[in-house]
Amino acid sequence: MRFAFSDQQLEFAAAVRDLLASCCTPAHVRECWDNETGHSPERWRQLADMGVVGMTVPEAHGGLGMNELDWVLVLEETGRAALPEPIVETVAVGAPMLAEFGPTELADRWLPAIAAGDVIVAVQHQGKPYLAAAGYADLLLLASGNEMHAVPRADVRLVEEQTSVDGARRLFGVDWHRTPGTLIAGGEGGYRTINASFDRGALGAAAQLIGLADRMLEMTVAYAKEREQFGAPIGSFQAVKHHLADALLAVEFARPVVYRAAFSLATGGADRSRDVSMAKAYASDAASAVSKVALQCHGAIGYTVEYDLHLFMKRAWALASSWGDAAWHRERVAMAVLGPVPGALPVEPDPDPLGETLA
Amino acid sequence: MNIVVCVKQIPDPAEPGALDPNTKTLKRDGKLILDESDSYGVEMALQLADAAGGGEVTLVSMAPNSETSGLRTALAMGAAKSVLVSDPALSGTDALGTAKILAAAIKRVEGADLILTATESSDGYTGTVPEQIAELLGLPSITFAKSIAIDGGTVKVQRQTEAGYDECEAPLPAVVSVTAGVVEPRYPSFKGIMAAKSKPVDEVDCAALGIDPGSVGWAGGGQEIVTVEAAPAREAGEVVEDDGTGFEKIVAFLDNLKVI
Repeated sequence: MRFAFSDQQLEFAAAVRDLLASCCTPAHVRECWDNETGHSPERWRQLADMGVVGMTVPEAHGGLGMNELDWVLVLEETGRAALPEPIVETVAVGAPMLAEFGPTELADRWLPAIAAGDVIVAVQHQGKPYLAAAGYADLLLLASGNEMHAVPRADVRLVEEQTSVDGARRLFGVDWHRTPGTLIAGGEGGYRTINASFDRGALGAAAQLIGLADRMLEMTVAYAKEREQFGAPIGSFQAVKHHLADALLAVEFARPVVYRAAFSLATGGADRSRDVSMAKAYASDAASAVSKVALQCHGAIGYTVEYDLHLFMKRAWALASSWGDAAWHRERVAMAVLGPVPGALPVEPDPDPLGETLA
Repeated sequence: MNIVVCVKQIPDPAEPGALDPNTKTLKRDGKLILDESDSYGVEMALQLADAAGGGEVTLVSMAPNSETSGLRTALAMGAAKSVLVSDPALSGTDALGTAKILAAAIKRVEGADLILTATESSDGYTGTVPEQIAELLGLPSITFAKSIAIDGGTVKVQRQTEAGYDECEAPLPAVVSVTAGVVEPRYPSFKGIMAAKSKPVDEVDCAALGIDPGSVGWAGGGQEIVTVEAAPAREAGEVVEDDGTGFEKIVAFLDNLKVI
């Protein structure tokens, strides 16, 4: 059995890395902190033309019909570039949710437009009051009890815009009404839809966190080689070396766990949710640890908004606590391995108990 | 409009290169990638084929160990097929030997209207192969193209010069070398990457091309690498104390470089 990515999967990732190196530089990310929406329509168009946006849309609807093992490296690259677009929501969650669980009318209506790059998706999960990217997404996937609905943004009212710690991430509450025509799934089917989609979103965020952590470490190593103190590059001092080595260990330990979770999702493994939770817990912890090391090794300069590292740290903080933070996912792993602990509170599917506003 | 593009697969410049102590040449046994300077020719060829409303872009390359990963990149961009010359006898081939082999490989492509190359490779830098190919094929050659247009049976080229550009034209078929950076190479789409897997790569050796192995490689090379030494360290610059006439020294220095 071969446990390595195929040449094609590696080539997809390399193509996305090259594209984002030109259209998603730190300067571009900074623009999204400052512009009205936090979004770049031109960049979304480029990603759609490459085939990234439609990669999980079934071939019958104009996409490439690919799975988690195909996109996990691609989303890692979007994290490496701190891509501000809702690529996790659209590619990892939205398109598969409509394709797998949605009625034919909804799938036929939305999937070809997603693949063509004409429709951007924002996703709400149970218990989560706010949606990222709802300000410019065309289609909102909204949770209500055990039901998921696909509602055009034109039919909802956006309320309570929230600022996130990440300036490119704009959050909104949504005032909307359920209609039978927007129902993707309800009842037992709705429960499965919500769970499967949540796992895909958590894996997508975990992949982005690995990319972010890798990039922050790379920036920090470059800085430690360049910045001199006491007549030598700071990277030659043992205390700095230890920090950087610890950061590398955190990333390298988390990465295979994330790839393993992609395998579980793609192959429909029975332990899918446990593996995703291990991945998100490891990736959140790794990215948080690397951003701490990066900030410290950069000295005070890392804290200034004007310095590029800042953009990556803030994205990492926001993602580490969305789609379930490390503590919540560890609890889900414990539940899966040990079963319910007598007297412990049940783990509800509330991935963000603090709410996005604190993220 | 059928266009042949000569492409080289080189060691990734992002990885530190190493010399083979025996042959004193660059080690080329790892994974090779498409030379970036060739991606401009591939893009130019794809644009010309589009503008002509049809035709194929064929790649021609020479590489050790049947290496195709660089070719796949160009095939993913949109080239239709490729000819790869791979033969252990080709190790150590010099610029003229390379031109002989590429010329023979180009002859295998039927109905080529135009042959594009880069001006020089990023790992060899001889900058002579395009003109040698043209001579061996008996075709006109135009170098340093910044733009190319096809008008009936004629290729019209803006040829970059130090002062600006010359307008040149030649009857087709012709060999034109494309200056790096004059077009923006497209990113391969996912569909392109998937399609590249099944595009034909016609792999041939010296015998198939009718080339005597003794006329290429180390045996046929007109060169011998005697020794390799580190480049001399940069010398300290001259420090001029300005006593009010420092500008004259600057003017004299720039004048000596012929930049003013």
